[in-house]
Amino acid sequence: MSARLHQPVSWQVWLLAAACLALTVALPFVVGNYWLRIWTTVLMYVAIAQGLNIIVGFAGYHSFGNAAFFGVGAYATGVAMAMGVPFLATLPIAAAVSALIAMAVGYPLLRLRGHYFAIATVALNVAFAELIINVGGVTGGAQGLPLPMSDQSPDVLYRKIYFLMLASAVGATVLVAWLGRSRFGFALRALKDSDSGAQAMGINTTRTRVVAWMMSAAVTGLVGGIWAYWLTFIEVTSAFDIGISVKGYIMMLIGGLGTVVGPVLGAVFFELFATLIWTRFGEVHNLVLGVLVCAVILLIPQGLLALAQSRIRKGKGTP
Amino acid sequence: MLSQTIVNGLLLGGIYGLATIGFSMVWGVMGVINLAHGAYIMIGAYIAYVAFERFGIDPFLSIPIAMAILFVIGYGIQRLVVNRILKTGLLLSLALTFGINLILVDLVVLQFTSDLRSVRTGYAQSSIEIGSVLVPNVRLAVCVLALLLAWGFHQFLARTRAGQAILATALDRETARLMGINPLTVYALTAGAGAALAGAAGSLSSMLFPISPHLGNSFIGAVFVVTVLGGIGSLGGAIAAGFIYGLIQAFASSYLGVSTQEIVAFVFFLAVLVLRPQGLFGKRFFGENT
Repeated sequence: MSARLHQPVSWQVWLLAAACLALTVALPFVVGNYWLRIWTTVLMYVAIAQGLNIIVGFAGYHSFGNAAFFGVGAYATGVAMAMGVPFLATLPIAAAVSALIAMAVGYPLLRLRGHYFAIATVALNVAFAELIINVGGVTGGAQGLPLPMSDQSPDVLYRKIYFLMLASAVGATVLVAWLGRSRFGFALRALKDSDSGAQAMGINTTRTRVVAWMMSAAVTGLVGGIWAYWLTFIEVTSAFDIGISVKGYIMMLIGGLGTVVGPVLGAVFFELFATLIWTRFGEVHNLVLGVLVCAVILLIPQGLLALAQSRIRKGKGTP
Repeated sequence: MLSQTIVNGLLLGGIYGLATIGFSMVWGVMGVINLAHGAYIMIGAYIAYVAFERFGIDPFLSIPIAMAILFVIGYGIQRLVVNRILKTGLLLSLALTFGINLILVDLVVLQFTSDLRSVRTGYAQSSIEIGSVLVPNVRLAVCVLALLLAWGFHQFLARTRAGQAILATALDRETARLMGINPLTVYALTAGAGAALAGAAGSLSSMLFPISPHLGNSFIGAVFVVTVLGGIGSLGGAIAAGFIYGLIQAFASSYLGVSTQEIVAFVFFLAVLVLRPQGLFGKRFFGENT
């Protein structure tokens, strides 16, 4: 896997990436509100899946409850705006608060391995949700928290949200691409393969893990903050929805974890498919979704990207 | 108030323990966290509901029916689906069982809609009073029956060849193979037995909680906590931890308010995870390393 990531990127790939980016930038000026909303969601999930990719795909820590940081980011933005901070200024706060919390809980939790870490993160998610309900006050508690309305027209606002999500998705992807070739990224992957081996190579394993989780949390918290303003009303059940983590996970899985493009592909494919299922099948959409998830896992466990690559290699005649 | 709180906690503890055994065994034997376990419990509750509403069968008597149906479901899903991806590790089995959970929940929604249902027996309101402590009869019976079923499962593990094969596989998969045990069959058997116990827990809880397709989701959190507290794959640990969990919830809700019971339970859980990840009563087991 590391060999594949370290190959020089060919000009075709750059061209494709540039074309995709140009299309996504042009998109809000072409499509109506319905598709704008769907693509905004797609981009949000690209960022979430990439955030997960950092801690799961690279570091090998199965953070099944990463939505905790989505909720933290959403509430950081919500509370900051309620205190009069302008929206754009709350986004760095959302990312920073999420990263700081990841640091605080990371030192004890990242000592756990495998299943235990996975469950601990789920518990963390639930604990945060309960905490916000019980704190009440500025967070609105169980009643939810309305955000100050924007004075911009909906058209302008929704485009602004779209571009913020786009920037987050691109930023997260660039971060993951950097991990693919940087010293820090190699340290992470060394740690995934063998903790003691990485230690012997002179890597500060604890700090590396914690920093990776902070990056993951910052990305997730940032889109959580944008999402909060997009909805203008947040409540605990939707902000700390474990389904957000699970969806991000499945997207990463569909695309191929530990790769740069995989989570992007997975998010686009899954969210569009889910939308299609929603509109076509209505009340049984979860059923179809479940079948899709099972089918992907049973048929292409390595992810779409690996599937495409093996097809291309077969076509070129190289092994 | 103190004694009432203790009684409330203990009475709920039995059902938490029973609901956990199957989940814990599956995890311990094959290293799979079965997110569809909550759906099994929920289906058990619906079987009790249908048996009661359509055929007038008392929920206590429909337990064997629920267990038989759930055994077939659990065995079949393991054989046909989960066994295929066991070699690939934690990530895929989590996602796969999440998918199975979605399917099962939606099938129940299709059949019964999302409306809340309940099983109202003639004796639902009766209770006995011991001193100042009120003991609802149904809760007492549910708790006793849960313990009996757990004891029965313990007997199955300890005294039958199949039970011994399950324990041997949990302990050391490779050596179990050398003894002529086919792991895939053992996995299917474990999954079936685990689902059957979940079905029994579901039937029993149909008398305690409102029934909805999302009943399982509220159970799965508790099941997670109790599994880890008790030590993964440990039957006695699951029962003991079930009671501890019931007590924690009861104390939190009587003394700190109902809304705090979850957060207290989860904070306790996180503390246990960090300080003693093998659980309060856990030992090392094979599935841990997969």
